[in-house]
Amino acid sequence: MMRTSLLIGRSYVGLVLFFLYAPILVMALMSFNASEFYALPIRFTLGWYEKLSGNQEILRSAWRSLWTAMAVTAIATLLGTAAAIALFRYEFPGKTVLQAMLFPPIAIPWLIVGTAMLIFFFWVGIGRGTPAVILGHVALALPYVIVVVTARLKTFDRQLEEAARSLGASAWQVTRLVTLPWISSGVVAGALFAFAVSFDQFVVSYFLAEPGDATLPVMIYTAIRKGFTPEINAISTIIIAISMAVMLLASRHFKFGGQR
Amino acid sequence: MAGAGQSQVLRAGALLAPAYVWLTVAIFLPLSAMLFFSFLSAAPFTNADWHLTADNYTAFFARSLYPYLLGRSLLLAAVVTCLCVLIGYPCAYVLAKQIKGRSREALFLLIILPFWSNSLVRIFSWAIVLRGNGILDHALKALLPFDVSVNLMFSYTAVVIGLVHSYLPYVILTSYLALEAIDDSLIEAARVMGAPMRTILARIILPLSLPGLASGAVLIFVPVAGSFMEPRILGGRSGTFYGTVIEDQFVAVFNWPLGAALSFILLAVVLVILGIAAPLQRRAQ
Amino acid sequence: MTGMNRRFVLGAISVMALSISAGLAQSAEIRVLNWQGYGSDEAWAVEAFAAKTGNTVVHDYFTSEQEMLTKLRTNPGAYDVVLINSAFTGQAKAEGLIAKIDTSDMPNVKDLAPNMGQNADLAPGGEVYGVAWTWGVTSVTINKDMVKPAPDSLAVLWDAQYAGKVSIRDDGVEAVQIAALATGQSINDIKDMEAVKGKLKALMPQVKAFWSSESDWNQFFAAGDFVVSTFWSGGAGRSASKGLPVQFVVPKEGALGWLDGLSIPATSKNPEAARAFINYMIDPEFYVKWAASGAPSSANNKAAAALPDTDFNKVTLGDPAVVARVQFMQPLSDETRKAYLELWQDIKTAQ
Repeated sequence: MMRTSLLIGRSYVGLVLFFLYAPILVMALMSFNASEFYALPIRFTLGWYEKLSGNQEILRSAWRSLWTAMAVTAIATLLGTAAAIALFRYEFPGKTVLQAMLFPPIAIPWLIVGTAMLIFFFWVGIGRGTPAVILGHVALALPYVIVVVTARLKTFDRQLEEAARSLGASAWQVTRLVTLPWISSGVVAGALFAFAVSFDQFVVSYFLAEPGDATLPVMIYTAIRKGFTPEINAISTIIIAISMAVMLLASRHFKFGGQR
Repeated sequence: MAGAGQSQVLRAGALLAPAYVWLTVAIFLPLSAMLFFSFLSAAPFTNADWHLTADNYTAFFARSLYPYLLGRSLLLAAVVTCLCVLIGYPCAYVLAKQIKGRSREALFLLIILPFWSNSLVRIFSWAIVLRGNGILDHALKALLPFDVSVNLMFSYTAVVIGLVHSYLPYVILTSYLALEAIDDSLIEAARVMGAPMRTILARIILPLSLPGLASGAVLIFVPVAGSFMEPRILGGRSGTFYGTVIEDQFVAVFNWPLGAALSFILLAVVLVILGIAAPLQRRAQ
Repeated sequence: MTGMNRRFVLGAISVMALSISAGLAQSAEIRVLNWQGYGSDEAWAVEAFAAKTGNTVVHDYFTSEQEMLTKLRTNPGAYDVVLINSAFTGQAKAEGLIAKIDTSDMPNVKDLAPNMGQNADLAPGGEVYGVAWTWGVTSVTINKDMVKPAPDSLAVLWDAQYAGKVSIRDDGVEAVQIAALATGQSINDIKDMEAVKGKLKALMPQVKAFWSSESDWNQFFAAGDFVVSTFWSGGAGRSASKGLPVQFVVPKEGALGWLDGLSIPATSKNPEAARAFINYMIDPEFYVKWAASGAPSSANNKAAAALPDTDFNKVTLGDPAVVARVQFMQPLSDETRKAYLELWQDIKTAQ
């Protein structure tokens, strides 16, 4: 009985993973398909990878996207976690307003938010360039980090913090030794979303990056007007493959899935 | 006592300030500019004379298309959110309660990994899967003994599939975060005392994991209501939604004031819905 | 220090000094704002231009004309060359975004077809604000394996035979103007909007999907989602060069013509280098090479004449009788654009 439910459970997770990975598999397949327009049946080629290796513009943009996303993830996770802890731990006037303020950046389509940033940064003189891009990306990622970390914090027993404090621990000690270990899985999840938000962010980079400094999403979105080639699939496949390797390695050496 | 309260506010301020100052500079002030535009008769920058007006908001009610499409988008968001919850919550449960050890860490990461790819490339991949004579069609023909042909491309269904795929990880991970925190011994105790699984689920697991589930649902419902890319590419003739009409005001014509007004109406409606849902959620707990 | 060494050091210094002064004299970075993949950013072209003039070229891209204008408005000094469709040049000029171009040091300008180079929208009153670069036609494109015989009328879009196999671009202006052609009206002076509306309504049941970019178009076409669709002549040329069975048709009712010009922003820091780049862009040598991989028609007579006889544009648009049927799109007021958009949104939603 127990074993059947385990089997059913695992098969179900397998099915969901298959659904999540279906378009990724197709994307990878098409990077090996000779047809530029994804026509079936597939005729195998490595041509798109060859072409990609000579396409400095795409390679540079992919690299730029990667390190932008890493910087954004670091900043947004740090600031977002701090804010989530404060929203959880303290009672103060205006808290609901602060929580409601997380929704405008998620609810208003990114095209409008991006346009708003462009004109505001232009007016106040921040202008465009890498700092402006990071400023924008972090702001869009922050609400996701805060909401996800808060979801984890809500399961946290406040009495644990109080107990630690009554034993003489400072606020920082309580955070470091009690709160953070408990919410580490939430922080990791928040960081993963922050990375995804930045890595796929088009509008902000499109409006705020310097000419010649396009990120990968900008290259892709601006290419569709006159048509892109499966080189895009090739670079995406490489990125996913490397990320998967890094993640599987990380999952063997770090514990963040929660307590067991 | 007053001193303790004050130092609490100070501590909270110190932790909140970096994030909220950042959000203010990069989001709230720019959006305030947009809010201002939404009350103008024409976007600034050009030679057009502009003056303050509420016309862009009355335009929403003057043209039946806007309320209709807003309703259509909210319905789409509700459908997508429900499907994500129905598919994602059981998956999170298995992940949190049945799978132990290292593989759990790996699965946790694998769920989000597909989203480290480009959304446009993912949408085009769905097109390859869903269209007639596409991958799904071929696969079903190969697997099933009888003759079938499937063409889901350019339909409401295609939009729903694309969106469910894009947002499913949110509800899986947030539900997981909450489910994993539930003490196994609590469930065990209930089981020992003879409670059927249904009761354990309804009385213990669901209420305790509701905050996570709700956060995930919000992270899906809110952006889907304003989505425009999936509908445009996958929806074909049924691809006109509130988000696409907003996009038109920025891309097809230079009508930022109307586009901004439509966006803020969407934001207001979404906040009202969340405002109604929040107490319901608290009561359910 | 030995004599050998001293000579080496002196030599090195003089080489450095030379290269620095050469750099000051001419080498500049020019920034071009264009559609991605639209000729000016071909890697070989950028290299050839750099080799010829010492100027490097950097690109920034836009995905709609409105965003192109937004980028110009909010980035003074950022761009040196910008691609502007002739229907938008007047607006950019009126807003003070682009400067008058002195074509005296651009030898290729004299070879431009007079009706393009002196086009009233690009060069109002003879003052050049946009150098005519390329032109093309938006019309019907068919799958020549599936649609036989090739149609000679726009009515093919409404032909019940192809119900559910038709596509049209998701663009209000284009949709309205195609319907205007189909109802025998001038696209720039539509008198009978009701007829246009009726025609578009009748089109909806025919339509399988809307397209919005060449990527969509090619993928949908290659997968057989549609067999008759509107398309750009430049795009059809590219698709044909990549092996898709497309045939571009300019029907008896006519087609929509458009003209793209290259302009210099009023705030450009390198107008001289920008003029050199534009001159290179209208050079027959550049154009012929670009056309081999699919390009719109050139506004330069000499460039057009230099094409091989098998060239897509020469075959489809080389006949003056065909070009005579084309109606070139003129600027539209913001109000008209809004009206067309609303009509289009209504029709798409009501079906």
